[in-house]
Amino acid sequence: MSEESVIAALRALAEQDCEREAPKEVEARLLSAFRRKRARRKLKTLALASLAAAAAITLFFVRPQPKPVVTTPTRPQLLVSAPEPVEIAAPPAPKQVRPVRRQPREVVTDFFPLLDVAPPFERGELLRVTVPASAMRNVGLPVNEDHLTDRVYADVLVGQEGLARAIRFVSYEQ
Amino acid sequence: MMLTDAALLEQALTGAEDAFTALYRRRQGGVYRFALQMTGSAALAEDVTQETFLALLLHGTRYDEARGTVASFLYGIARNLVMRRLDRRPGAELEIAEECAGPEDLLEDLTRRESIEHVRQAVLSLPPVFREVVVLCDLQDSSYEDAAAALDCPVGTVRSRLSRGRAMLARKLRGVAGCAGRSIECPKSL
Repeated sequence: MSEESVIAALRALAEQDCEREAPKEVEARLLSAFRRKRARRKLKTLALASLAAAAAITLFFVRPQPKPVVTTPTRPQLLVSAPEPVEIAAPPAPKQVRPVRRQPREVVTDFFPLLDVAPPFERGELLRVTVPASAMRNVGLPVNEDHLTDRVYADVLVGQEGLARAIRFVSYEQ
Repeated sequence: MMLTDAALLEQALTGAEDAFTALYRRRQGGVYRFALQMTGSAALAEDVTQETFLALLLHGTRYDEARGTVASFLYGIARNLVMRRLDRRPGAELEIAEECAGPEDLLEDLTRRESIEHVRQAVLSLPPVFREVVVLCDLQDSSYEDAAAALDCPVGTVRSRLSRGRAMLARKLRGVAGCAGRSIECPKSL
């Protein structure tokens, strides 16, 4: 049988099937899912916008104490007293080494988008907030069941239009 | 003016139900037929169609216009879902393909509908990697480029698999005609 004959046979099969479609119920089920997703997204956006607004208000009224946070590891500095002048007969004072307090190191996750299709980004603000650890699970990060209600630090990126666009989570390593 | 698939998808992802409905109505037939011709099961094809569009809702932002059309993106999703199902029930779709009509049934088999069913079963009996190319290019009329985008492989691979798939079909269809003891140019009777 030649290739042309096979193609002709396949064309006949395609013609016979060309009217076949998914049943109407599939469309109904999909539209139902679409509406549920849209409602959930609105709720999430609203919740995060409220969170961001609350954080902004908090930042406005309560000036936070600057945190001793270092984003990159720093080289420990040994503070050594200056050597005594040679002329002095008295023995040099013992070198005093002050222990350097290790600063906690900030560890951040990647940003997780909060909008499926975000409007163009022009400018925005990064707000440091605390959220329940369950928020991490919402973006797919693993969270132990016992710690779902723990508070964790997060940075929320709020765009110029006031929408919370992305979130990342922050932890500190000693 | 009719919106493109990409424009409809973009609107649908921002929550426009009309756009989603329009895109679904435009593309569901192709996805359903692809799944049907790959699995031979209307129930599976229905499931795959539904899950394909659900996946589009969840992961539609991953669509990249530079990598292919929305249709090929949908076929790609449907193809993965089909393959997962075929892995769960390997060989199930081959059962009818191996059957061969006896001489008494041959005259009835010569009716157009049954000849087409032989072709359908021959397609279903192809190994999945050849079947998907034959279904996309010969039954769904996709271009080689669209098929390559859907299957995530080079165009050259699509061409070679299509050629081999057609050659396998030619042998299978010759076998169907020959097993009844007569030489039948099956496609010409269609």
